[in-house]
Amino acid sequence: MTPLSDLRAEAEALARQLPGLNFKAEASEAAHIGSAGRRRAGTGEHFWQYRRHASEDAADRVDWRRSAKGTDLFVRETELETARTVLFWCDDHPGFDWRGPEDIRTKADEARLLMLTLALMMSKDGERIGALGAGRNPSFGKRAVDRLGEDLAAGTGGAFPQAPKNAATLIVASDFYDPIPEWQARLKPLAARCSEGVLLAIASPIEIEFPFEGRVKLSRPGSVFDRIVGRAETVQEAYREKFNTQRAALGKLATHMGWRFVAHDTGTPSLAGAASLKSAIESFGSHT
Amino acid sequence: MTSLGPFLLGAPLALAALIALPIIWWILRATPPAPKNVELPSMRLLDDVKEQDETPARTPWWVWLLRTLAAAAAIIGLSQPVYAPGASSGDTSEGGALLIVLDNGWPSAPRWNELVNASVASLDAGGRDAPAHLLLTAPQQLNPDPSQRFSKADMAKRLTSLRPQAWGTDRTDALTRLKESSFAPARILWASDGLESEDGRSFANALSQIAPLSVYAAPPRGPVAITRLQSQTDSVDVTLRRLEARGTEDTFVSALTLDGSALATAEAVFEDGNREAIARFELPAAALSRVARFAATGKQGAGTVWLWDSSDRSRRVGLVDAGASAQPLLSDMHYIRKALEPFASITEGDLESLVAASPDAIVMTDVGQIAPDDVTLLTEWVEQGGALIRFSGPRLATQGDDLLPVPLRRAARALGGSLAWDEPQALAGFPDTSPFSGLTPPADVRVRQQVLAKPAADLADRTWARLEDGSPLVTAAPRGSGTIVLFHITAGPGWSDLAYSGVFSQMLRRSIAAGRGEALDDVDGSYAPQLALDGYGRLQPAPASAAPLRASEFSETRPSEAHPPGLYQGPAGTRVLNAAANLRPSRIENWPASARLLGDAETRSLRLAGPLLTLAVLLLAIDLFVALFVAGKLNRRIRKPIAALIGLGLMGSALPHTETAQAQSYRYQQMPDGTLRRIEILPDAVANSNTIASSPMTPEMEAALEMRFGYVKTSDSQLDQRTMSGLTGLSRLLYMRTSVEPAAPHALDVETAPLELYPLIYFNVPDNNAQLSDTAVSRLNAYLRSGGALIIDTRAGAQIGTETDVSRLETVLSGLDAPPLQPVPQNHVLARSYYLIDDFPGRYAGRRLWIEETGSAGAPRGDGVSRLFIGDADWASAWATDERGRDLYSVDGGPRQREIARRFGINLAMYVLTGNYKDDQVHLPALLERLGDDDDATPRLPAMPNDGGP
Repeated sequence: MTPLSDLRAEAEALARQLPGLNFKAEASEAAHIGSAGRRRAGTGEHFWQYRRHASEDAADRVDWRRSAKGTDLFVRETELETARTVLFWCDDHPGFDWRGPEDIRTKADEARLLMLTLALMMSKDGERIGALGAGRNPSFGKRAVDRLGEDLAAGTGGAFPQAPKNAATLIVASDFYDPIPEWQARLKPLAARCSEGVLLAIASPIEIEFPFEGRVKLSRPGSVFDRIVGRAETVQEAYREKFNTQRAALGKLATHMGWRFVAHDTGTPSLAGAASLKSAIESFGSHT
Repeated sequence: MTSLGPFLLGAPLALAALIALPIIWWILRATPPAPKNVELPSMRLLDDVKEQDETPARTPWWVWLLRTLAAAAAIIGLSQPVYAPGASSGDTSEGGALLIVLDNGWPSAPRWNELVNASVASLDAGGRDAPAHLLLTAPQQLNPDPSQRFSKADMAKRLTSLRPQAWGTDRTDALTRLKESSFAPARILWASDGLESEDGRSFANALSQIAPLSVYAAPPRGPVAITRLQSQTDSVDVTLRRLEARGTEDTFVSALTLDGSALATAEAVFEDGNREAIARFELPAAALSRVARFAATGKQGAGTVWLWDSSDRSRRVGLVDAGASAQPLLSDMHYIRKALEPFASITEGDLESLVAASPDAIVMTDVGQIAPDDVTLLTEWVEQGGALIRFSGPRLATQGDDLLPVPLRRAARALGGSLAWDEPQALAGFPDTSPFSGLTPPADVRVRQQVLAKPAADLADRTWARLEDGSPLVTAAPRGSGTIVLFHITAGPGWSDLAYSGVFSQMLRRSIAAGRGEALDDVDGSYAPQLALDGYGRLQPAPASAAPLRASEFSETRPSEAHPPGLYQGPAGTRVLNAAANLRPSRIENWPASARLLGDAETRSLRLAGPLLTLAVLLLAIDLFVALFVAGKLNRRIRKPIAALIGLGLMGSALPHTETAQAQSYRYQQMPDGTLRRIEILPDAVANSNTIASSPMTPEMEAALEMRFGYVKTSDSQLDQRTMSGLTGLSRLLYMRTSVEPAAPHALDVETAPLELYPLIYFNVPDNNAQLSDTAVSRLNAYLRSGGALIIDTRAGAQIGTETDVSRLETVLSGLDAPPLQPVPQNHVLARSYYLIDDFPGRYAGRRLWIEETGSAGAPRGDGVSRLFIGDADWASAWATDERGRDLYSVDGGPRQREIARRFGINLAMYVLTGNYKDDQVHLPALLERLGDDDDATPRLPAMPNDGGP
């Protein structure tokens, strides 16, 4: 496992390369007063705009300092500033904390790197971030990123976490190789609580390609069983089909829950993964 | 050895291991190759997938077939099998002693390996411990004793170490040796060369009486030997002989010098029914004198090489020194010397020393009376076989002596003089009895004066050549064993034109050849062997066993170990002993009835152990790759080279397509001198330069294949473009107007480009006067020294002043090895090498062109052709055209001056390419005038030719 400090440095480099996060939140969901400007008028500290006084506005909302310059009455509006809670979870199954012969880091590290990158950008915007099932409450600021890193590294002891108490945006990273019904069962309570979430599927290139030939003994990390394939090239077709079916089913599952599905493999640059993860996050609330 | 069908087994027990084959087979079949371990988390996906193609629990059939084959090959190989079809067929005496009689004379050389193999194969049959004995038929001083026992292994080694000898066999001697050794073999194998050269049949009979005889005869195929050589004055006939008289056959004979280089090859054709063929070499005498031996091409054996000695070849001729002559080129001796030089070694001196040197012939010109002492010497020498050749002249005409073939009248007969009635006479045809017969008398030779023979009864017999009116021109008479020849004319052109004719030389040579008897009386002389032939016909230093040979014995000596065929050095040059001189070889036809003749197949024995074991190793090596492949360990990196190897084989079929694709833009045509020239299919060579450039040829190849100009690439790309279009325009002009067809010019990086490939390099000095690097300047120096032409244009002609400003050049070209320069003088070749011009304008007219000062001593181009041209008229701009032939830059004097500038360009190219060849043309009008009209007695040399041009 890559040391946390290295991952953090890498994540900061990635975050610098990505444009600023535009995480639009719906006003109705502004459950927490926060510091993340939403580029619209609302409750907040910073000036947003003056607008003409309407008849439905209370008299005390008139900004006299501005109105005294002319004959019209003006109302001073501030920018809506809210904070959202984003919770991360990274699979700590041995098969996920594994890397192929050509990869530079394990799939779990890759997932953590992407999540830290996103967390850095969000913390800059004042969102609340935290690890799902870590027992600590999500928090603001740069410190929150460090805490998130620690919690992700500690993992959840192989168990899938419970749903959070409050609604939050969830980012769930795994390789999702378990059967779809299992995942459906796990994700159902989460989806019931949180309407926004991203499934981040990380794979190693050799898991996608299945480039084996000849007589091969295949084993799974964390499992004692193995399997001998006489001519691996004959299995390749079936494997690839299976893999694609799994991916398609996952995407379908995410759509059903109103979530997004992001696939990334360790063979492509992390920046691409971070960008697609970011755009998936940004897509929430884009309809407003 | 155990025999099994046609096979003999050295270790038959090893075959018992074949029983293990089924077990090996079963084990191999049962055990699959070890799998490769791979970790893959996503295997979870496949948990519920049933494999369609289940793991082959067993090794594929071809793998175990491969391995079983390898094991079987190894086991059979270890049993040491020998394939010997002849060995098993009825050898009665299993345990008896075997006598191998081997013909090891030179006729065995062509098929020596077959003879040795047959002998070795005969060892395989018979008892394991039966002894073997050896009898060689070519006699040596230390002959192997036939009674000496050899084990089979030793005998095989002994046999393979033998080489054929350079001399023939002596079977009588061999039979005597066998009888003297009182050894009684149980069976005999005679590996024979099949030549009935002496007593082959009786030898076979004698052998078959001693013991059961098997015979393997391997007579040489095709020509066996060169048996005779006949040399004429300018041709050599080499006679080859073969064994069979059936069928026609072509063979070639090469004439080789002493160091082995071939001078000529002649074909000899054996006609059907003829055992002899003649290869005729018709070579110039000078080449013939270098021939040291003749060899039948591609044939082995000392008999197919004919050494040629000096006694056959070079005549030694003495010329009697008649004292110094004031006019050496008009002296008679000069003509004789020139005629004889190509083929004879000439000694000059007074008579006494010449006779002492005992040459083949002595030539005397117009000596009237020989001193009495000399007459005695000469007479003695002629009687011992010398050829005395005399020419007449005024002195001989007045007083003759005894050493003449015919008595002479005491006067010379002048023909065609002002007081004579008759015309100068031509030569009549040569009489058949004359040695000159066959020569064609030259029709234009006239004899103006001659000495006349007194009529005598035998005059006609003694006449070798006569004039048209029948009077003798050359007479000869034998004297003792020598000959005296008299030419009735002078040797020089004084009395006749004969000395001018080529026939004169032929007549002289034939006279010497005809007059030469056994020239050298060196019966007592001893000839030491210098080079000897080995059995295969290769020349080697003579072995220590070779003994000197007396000259008189050469004709009757048969080659032997003491006198191997070869080259012998003696007092009178070299003599040779040839292996097959006058040999009449034929086949042994009638073999004794009791002898068993072995065919080729029966005598072949093939030891299979080595190949089988090799096969086993090879199969195992293949299996190694197969195993790696099945286990998937043969990863892509290793597979790539293998695929490349396979691809290489496929590429061979793909290559011709690319060649035909290229052939569309040009093709090659063979020129008369044997070189290949590229012919563009489209007519315009310059326009085609683009297609040439797109072909994968490097500039070096292009420049070497086609003549083209070059220019120095500068840092100014615009200037380069201007120079390029200028040279292109010039090339186009040359192509249109002259037979010079240059290809597109090249830009040259002086520091790297192969300058020597360009006849002309143009250097437009750039405006920034950037100095050339030292390397560039030294390379330019080398280019100029090796004969290149460099044109330097400063383009400064627009400035005021007529002098070329060379100060810029001093900086740009500092270090250039410039010769002393001068402006182009009046009437210089440059002004008339193609067009007649008197100015050398470019864009600017009236500029001065500086060239190398001609005639300077020690100039590298000694013909006084300038290699450096310096000017400032900006010629390139005047020549420059675009690709459609339109002029690019304006010229001061308009179209007229542009035309002159173009003409100068053509002149320049012509001058560079032809040198001062056209210099002669400057005087051509004057020469023509002189030759044409005799009445214009005073030829006029015009200061300036009024007409000229190409």
